[in-house]
Amino acid sequence: MARGSAVERSRTSETSESSSVLGRGARVRGRVSGDGDLRVEGQIEGDVTLSGELSIDQTGSIRGDVDAASVTITGVLQGDVASRGAVTIRASAKVKGNMGGAEVSLEEGASFAGRIEAEFDLPAELMPRQGR
Amino acid sequence: MSQVSTIGPGTTVRGSIRGEGDLEIHGRVEGSVVVTGEVLITESALLKSDVRARRITIRGAVAGDVSADESIVLEAGARVLGDLGAPQIGIRPGGLVRGNVSTGGPLAETKSAPAAAASASRARPAATPAARPAPARAATPAPAARPVAARPAALPAPAARPAPVARTAPAAREPAPSATRGDTTPSAAVVAARAPVEEPELDESEEIDDAEPIDGGPPPPVVPALRKGAKASLRRKGAR
Amino acid sequence: MAGTIIGQGITIEGELTSDEEVVVAGTIRGKLSADGPVTIEAGAVVEADVSAASLAVGGTVTGNVSAAERVDLLGGARLIGDVKAARLTIADGASFKGNVDMDV
Repeated sequence: MARGSAVERSRTSETSESSSVLGRGARVRGRVSGDGDLRVEGQIEGDVTLSGELSIDQTGSIRGDVDAASVTITGVLQGDVASRGAVTIRASAKVKGNMGGAEVSLEEGASFAGRIEAEFDLPAELMPRQGR
Repeated sequence: MSQVSTIGPGTTVRGSIRGEGDLEIHGRVEGSVVVTGEVLITESALLKSDVRARRITIRGAVAGDVSADESIVLEAGARVLGDLGAPQIGIRPGGLVRGNVSTGGPLAETKSAPAAAASASRARPAATPAARPAPARAATPAPAARPVAARPAALPAPAARPAPVARTAPAAREPAPSATRGDTTPSAAVVAARAPVEEPELDESEEIDDAEPIDGGPPPPVVPALRKGAKASLRRKGAR
Repeated sequence: MAGTIIGQGITIEGELTSDEEVVVAGTIRGKLSADGPVTIEAGAVVEADVSAASLAVGGTVTGNVSAAERVDLLGGARLIGDVKAARLTIADGASFKGNVDMDV
């Protein structure tokens, strides 16, 4: 993919106006932040903060912490995730990092190492002061 | 193979369940579960127990570590407070976990130490195995088996992670049958012993890194790229 | 189908309590109490005190057993321990060592 248009606004009509793509040949070292969505087909070495959705394609990789409305990982992520919405880790993904997100789903076959912090209450019976 | 074993919804087991074959749990288990086959933990199940098996499917609530030789699947309704370890792990939407998750394989055997626990319980009901499992854990060349960096970071805040407490509780509280005591206490001891063991900062290892395309290479062609192409949000950054 | 089945290869060490039917084909060491009927199949090994609504034993039991209704020792059963139940049958081929208390 052409270097010059490595990060371009997607012009397809169905994507939102502020959707960006980091192309396959592109490499970013440094922090990436912004509004809208970002699809990563290339490489980012640095933290990523988005108001929208982040997706890391099969060819994409991020080494850095990620903060986005939702995160979908098909490629490689090495870093922590903070997400207000769903974190979806596909079967081809390789992820090493801690997931703080409302919902983390993980497909079998994915490589994953890290901590998942889902918010939930266990039934009272399983809490330390159990009756009976 | 023998019939599927079932712990019915109205049944509670305090102690260890182990052996060969498959197991369905609809009821309650406090202690440990170690079987060679498949384990299904259904919606109505409540486990305060570590679980080890070949394959494990969870739709209920588990306070304890879950380790499988082949796969673990958390389906909708699953709530696991504890660690997951298996070569393949699936977490379906609606499946929740709070703990360390590793697809590096089953969790290290020392964690639930079923064999040691069982024999200990038979030998002396009033087990005080605190010292025993700990050195084993410390001596383990840990990261290989459990390549999870988060544990040490998470430990200093025990309040945020009530799992160890939950696991310790039955042993501390109940004058229960010896098996219960023997099986739960070692895991508590291991948890306690884990804290001082500094696991090294995660090294760049394993499968993730062979796919890691970032080398020490040249700094980015990035800034120009950003300026030229990015029109919306990223432009602001480029212009800075 | 029974609510709880402890299959042939399975061993429980500890305490099993249930308010439903329990079938044991495996091994239980500790204690077994159920509000429903309990069946201890041939080949099963129970080293535990057993209480149940009713109890049928085809396997080996070491421990005291009590049942609200009845205890049946089937052919091939082996019980070492006391029995407390309103009714007791001991089939031909069963072996039993212990006291019987049928005073309910």
